[in-house]
Amino acid sequence: MWETFLRKVYVVGIGLTNVGRFYERSLRDLASEALIKALDDVGNITPEGMVVSNMLSSLIEQENLASLIADYSGLRGISGFKVEAACGSGGAAILAAYSLVSSGLMDIVAVVGVEKLSERPTPEVTRGLAYAADADYEIPYGVTFSGLNALVMRYYMSKYGVKREEIAVWPVLMHENGYKNPYAQLRMRITIDDVLKSPVIADPIRLYDSCPLSDGAAALILASEDIARKLNDTPVLIAGVGNALDSTDITSRFELDTFLASRLSAERAYRMSKLGPKDVDVAELHDAYSINGILTLEDVGFAPKGQGAKLLSEGRFRPGDKPVINPSGGLKSRGHPVGATGVYQVCEVVMQIRGDFPGIKVPCDVGLTQNIGGVGSNISTVILKRGD
Amino acid sequence: MINTSFQRLWRLKDALLGLIGTRCLDCGFTAYPPKKSCPKCRSRNTKTVELGRVGKVVSYTVINVPMSGFEKMTPITIALVDVGGCIILTQLTGVRPEEVYVGMEVEATIRRSAETIDGYIPYIIKFKPVQ
Ligand SMILES: [Zn+2]
Repeated sequence: MWETFLRKVYVVGIGLTNVGRFYERSLRDLASEALIKALDDVGNITPEGMVVSNMLSSLIEQENLASLIADYSGLRGISGFKVEAACGSGGAAILAAYSLVSSGLMDIVAVVGVEKLSERPTPEVTRGLAYAADADYEIPYGVTFSGLNALVMRYYMSKYGVKREEIAVWPVLMHENGYKNPYAQLRMRITIDDVLKSPVIADPIRLYDSCPLSDGAAALILASEDIARKLNDTPVLIAGVGNALDSTDITSRFELDTFLASRLSAERAYRMSKLGPKDVDVAELHDAYSINGILTLEDVGFAPKGQGAKLLSEGRFRPGDKPVINPSGGLKSRGHPVGATGVYQVCEVVMQIRGDFPGIKVPCDVGLTQNIGGVGSNISTVILKRGD
Repeated sequence: MINTSFQRLWRLKDALLGLIGTRCLDCGFTAYPPKKSCPKCRSRNTKTVELGRVGKVVSYTVINVPMSGFEKMTPITIALVDVGGCIILTQLTGVRPEEVYVGMEVEATIRRSAETIDGYIPYIIKFKPVQ
């Protein structure tokens, strides 16, 4: 499978809120702002269904998000439900919505990703994020999500002889890109020295290797081909989707320096779209930590194994190159509104293809997004293409 | 405090204290944590095995920003330890963070963990440098 599908599916509308820490705003406010912007981006339409993505709303004592958001936004009566795949919830929700439209069950479906973390103290949010790890076998030792990624980072550095400074190039580039993105949470330029002198979170991961804790919401409107052409002059085709799972624990991995699920989910999306890594003009990758960005550069097929950090530090993947990686600033600078991140990524690439992204513009016909849940355990890839 | 019940740790005591993994009788892959089926070849023909109690550090981290419940134990040194070809995740004890290195030989020892939500102090396996 991942080769045939019933109907073509297009993105006809997008909407997003700024990413940040919004003490004055609630989860439903943020979700509704993004959804209504996306509906208005298309025109006055009513979707038949809605798929919500979120990871940690239970921390703020709210589940059952689809009805909450639909009703608050004036869509009482439509169909809907939530999808959860840790930090990869957004990508997974897009796959679910894609299937609803592709199968013919519905013609117009909204995807709404939302996360509201600023309502809880950091240690509690840190615990919540660790719920993406193996609760029985990893959490009793007090290992955090940063800690698990740090174990992967040190292993990678030691196996390939990669220098700390080479990996520090990642966040510097992300901030350089995100500096120009009006939606981004951390809009400041940083240097390699800033990264290397920032506080240690979980050695070797430092503060500037880590994404911030973010609030935010993003929404997409997906439509079937015949409807899409009536609604929008510039629909963007979802040319391929893929998802793959790896172990939740990191100890039983076949390779510690490879995200198997990144490779498999990208392969599935490539196969479906009949495109490959060389066709991709722009990509939004999931760099919750610098090491995730480096590993997925390799696993998605943009760099040979062990070479990602080296190519990056030699100047690759910047605006003007092919592919350009994370013109949004990625999770580092744009921020990581956990369950919404995968939806932000697709909104950003859709805007790049339409030509209306308000930050660094990349001339492009083909874009790729990859959204990671857990330490590489649940990964979704979406390939977008200018509609013909 | 660890935000888990004593009941859960009791259920996991064989794997957590006995270091029990599963070995595939068809392809030989050993998994920790234990699995119902082999992750490599999908065989259900697996048996539980006691993993080694001596091994080598393959990676490590020192956690400075803890999750809630572990504030008093911070900094926490966490390592991936290769025990006879199978990797386990554990806490290191009896060694200063700056003295840990990849390749260091370590052995299992029983130590206290943090208090559970129901007020018990469980024991778990940690690893210390081989003397
Ligand atoms: Zn096997």
